[in-house]
Amino acid sequence: MAVGFFDRAKAVFGLQKGARTEGSDTAPRADRQSGRKTKAGRPPLPEVSGAASATIEDVLTARAAGSFDEARAILAAIDKGQGLRTVLRAAAALEAHDEEEVTRLIPLVQKDSPAWQLRLQVAAALDPGPERDDLVSRAVGLGAPAWSVAWLRALSSNDEQKRAGLVDLLFEDAALARTVAARDLGFTDIKPDNDAIRRYTAFAHGRDAIRRFGAAHVVALLGRVDHRSA
Amino acid sequence: MSRPLLSLYRLDRNKLHDLSAQLRELLARDDRAALASLLGLGEELARRLAAERWAVGMMLRPDEDAQAAPIFASLRRVAKRAALELVWTSESPALEGRLRAYDVLREEEDVAEAIDRLLDAARLPWFLQRPGGTGGWLGDEQRETLATRLDELGPALPDEVNAFVAAFGGMDGDALVHDCL
Repeated sequence: MAVGFFDRAKAVFGLQKGARTEGSDTAPRADRQSGRKTKAGRPPLPEVSGAASATIEDVLTARAAGSFDEARAILAAIDKGQGLRTVLRAAAALEAHDEEEVTRLIPLVQKDSPAWQLRLQVAAALDPGPERDDLVSRAVGLGAPAWSVAWLRALSSNDEQKRAGLVDLLFEDAALARTVAARDLGFTDIKPDNDAIRRYTAFAHGRDAIRRFGAAHVVALLGRVDHRSA
Repeated sequence: MSRPLLSLYRLDRNKLHDLSAQLRELLARDDRAALASLLGLGEELARRLAAERWAVGMMLRPDEDAQAAPIFASLRRVAKRAALELVWTSESPALEGRLRAYDVLREEEDVAEAIDRLLDAARLPWFLQRPGGTGGWLGDEQRETLATRLDELGPALPDEVNAFVAAFGGMDGDALVHDCL
């Protein structure tokens, strides 16, 4: 697994064998670029070659390995100006205090559609608490459908809430309820429903990616985004 | 294997809504004794329900699951008794195919749209949906409009459709069709 990632990272960054190891002073080509600096005086992110094959999984693996600049470079290379990649790119920029990039990306995150979905994905990635409740309220205010709120409730750590959420989901969207019960709640006698798999994966992928990325950074980003929208 | 026959029911929407609300509340409370009573389950099935982690878990099982199938059958029976009255059953297994695909019907946009709505199982409550089954409903006003339009097309329609039109137009109230209740 680790070998696979580093092989892929080499392809993504165009690294040569032994070109860079942790603590080594031999920086990759992109890191050695001219002393060109951004307005804020920050060095530019490494330039990425061969990024077409990179994925969010590569970003998350890089971050898990502590390679935050590399993760940002991959995000910059794979970002198409919308969706989860843009959101994570902006959150990573915020985390790195790169105001210039944050300011540039926030309007794109604001345009993310449907707006309720990102707030609920982030809420689903958070532990229960006021922050999560606030995101759910914002999502509902932005038109989150009943099934999405029921799904979130079904993921509660409180058994009573979880059961109530699952019942709501059964009455709102039975196919999705079966899929969530089977995939998220460990009901072994229930089969995921093919009609709901696409909707399930679209939502769950974002939720899981945000959780691994660090939901707190996306919460902070949404605070900025929603503040600007208000 | 014989093809199923479409049946036409008079639907009491308020009663179906009440049953649905009662079921939802019992499942949310996980009151299995009350649920077993509502569904008229015998001792063995009530025991089966009681052995589940949650009653809702039983309701999420596949339709063909050996443990859940008799409970689903009870639930459908209760729903039929509470909210449905059988009006007519087709004698022709070809009726659904005719309604969905007969060119004279498909060429009339409003007619085709109303028929598709009548046969859209996704509009039924989850406990009346059957895998591979056909079902759906139309409110009284839409039923009357569709019946009138079908009646106008009558001379160009096959016998099995005209038999349906006679029953569909001759009833009153909301209509539900289903082939495996």
